[in-house]
Amino acid sequence: MSFIDVEQVSKSFRINKRSAGVAGMLMNLVAPKYEKKQAVKDISFQIEKGEMVGFIGPNGAGKSTTIKMLSGILYPDSGKISVNGYIPYKQRKEYVARIGVVFGQKSQLQWDLPVIDSFELLKAIYSIKEDVYKKNLNRFVDMLDMGGFVNQPVRQLSLGQRMRADIVAALLHSPEIVFFDEPTIGVDVLGKETIREFIRELNAQDQVTMLFTTHDMQDIEKTCNRLIIIDKGSKMYDGSLQSIREKYGTERRLIVELNQEEELEGIEGVTIDNLENRKKSLSFDNNQVNINDLMNNLLQKYSIRDLTVSEPEIESIIQKMYNGEV
Amino acid sequence: MLRAYLAFAKKSFLQKSAYRFDHFMGIFNTILRIFIFWEIYQALYGGRAEVDGITMSMVTTNFILSMGLSVVFKVNDFYLPDKLQDGSIATELLLPVSFHGRMLASNLGSSLFQLVFHFVPALVVSVLIMGMEAPVSAPMFILFLVSTLFGYFVLWSISFLMQMMSFWMLNVWAVMTIKDVFVNVLSGSMIPLWFMPNWMQGVLKFTPFSYIYFTPVQIYLGQLSIKEIFIRFAMQAFWIFVLLMAGAFFWKKGQKKIVVQGG
Repeated sequence: MSFIDVEQVSKSFRINKRSAGVAGMLMNLVAPKYEKKQAVKDISFQIEKGEMVGFIGPNGAGKSTTIKMLSGILYPDSGKISVNGYIPYKQRKEYVARIGVVFGQKSQLQWDLPVIDSFELLKAIYSIKEDVYKKNLNRFVDMLDMGGFVNQPVRQLSLGQRMRADIVAALLHSPEIVFFDEPTIGVDVLGKETIREFIRELNAQDQVTMLFTTHDMQDIEKTCNRLIIIDKGSKMYDGSLQSIREKYGTERRLIVELNQEEELEGIEGVTIDNLENRKKSLSFDNNQVNINDLMNNLLQKYSIRDLTVSEPEIESIIQKMYNGEV
Repeated sequence: MLRAYLAFAKKSFLQKSAYRFDHFMGIFNTILRIFIFWEIYQALYGGRAEVDGITMSMVTTNFILSMGLSVVFKVNDFYLPDKLQDGSIATELLLPVSFHGRMLASNLGSSLFQLVFHFVPALVVSVLIMGMEAPVSAPMFILFLVSTLFGYFVLWSISFLMQMMSFWMLNVWAVMTIKDVFVNVLSGSMIPLWFMPNWMQGVLKFTPFSYIYFTPVQIYLGQLSIKEIFIRFAMQAFWIFVLLMAGAFFWKKGQKKIVVQGG
């Protein structure tokens, strides 16, 4: 059995549907209409100990719902979840003592108190031993460069600072598994880089198993080896970042800059577009057209100043997946 | 494990002391309320020594004790509803503690603060102005303290059960207001239950309300025999058990319905 085992899990919510205006309000009062929304549909996946997995999908895809079921907050309607032998929603109290969860949009910190006071409270709640607490605190504060603001009240922190404090709060009790739900949301480029670096180090040094959701592909590219893509509650892809490129990203683009203005002859399997300043763009499928032959061909026929090949951005591949094009 | 709950209790104790002006106004408000009811009943008594065998001084004692204790017994009825409404229930459930234990610990922390810094000063000032019956005997006083503790848990359990309704209704304000009316009128803190019609008193014996403040007051005044006192204790324990069981039942049902608001 895998460390994290999710088997055909489904979850739906009931949503009150209300038409606009006073008439809608009155109708809703007398005969409310409800609609069932399937947030997660028959999702299965396994994660091994020490893995770092990115969980992506558009808004409303069911990422957060899945994370909340994995962390014991929500009950699945059907299916089975087991994490390290625990059933999260049934053994919540024992289970949550072993995991850490960071919600990018919800803070665990006490709004009015200095950050360090929230940490002290967590120390009491999790019964963290003094030496472990000290060791973790010093290490994380150092890694996330938080020395400047641990004594400030949370309400005075910037979003990036608060997020870092929240990450430390979720890790003080040395959890074996950490779930991050959009840990970089609203954080600036520098802050994001610090957080990614921290996540990478923690995974590498402590073998902490991690699952995190994000909208930012950079987060995934820089941290995860494995990717799970979900859309409309169903799993669409599960595998490495590399193989997603190989499988779906076979389109290549060759940008050619000529020394003089001239038209290119048509080539089979290649779409040619004119760009500005004697630049042409040649798009083709990597499996149909050999890039070496193509370049040789061009260099013989034309006088070329510059050649660049570009791979598609992972973002645009996923965009296509969402749209059902691949 | 206990350390975690102590931390919650300490936190709510400290939070209570955050707003000093508000706190002093609260004490003044309590004394004023007791004073107003005292004045009303003085007018109603019109100088008579007793009505239906109840002296004015017993009525005064009832108001000082029940209104004073109501400050200590105060439950935050919106503890769970607020957390369900703003979605912070998610982070609450991530803590490795029993949510019910956390609810109670927070309440005990603020109650302890209220007991020491609100009830005691209000009691002293009220007694100086209006006077009050002394406890009948030391053993009776101890029994009074026991029943007060039971009374606390009866009220807490009522609120606990009502709060579970918030799994089904997003807004429980109206329900809580109705609950407060029932508690205020039927527990004797506004109209001493002695003056209720006999049939009403009979009915009230089968509700939890008279066991909150009125039972302790009666024990304090030495109105109940030892046998009656133990019957009341049993009734208090019965209600706490029933209300908590019902609350726990709805919690189990409701937990499956949790929707985390706001993403």
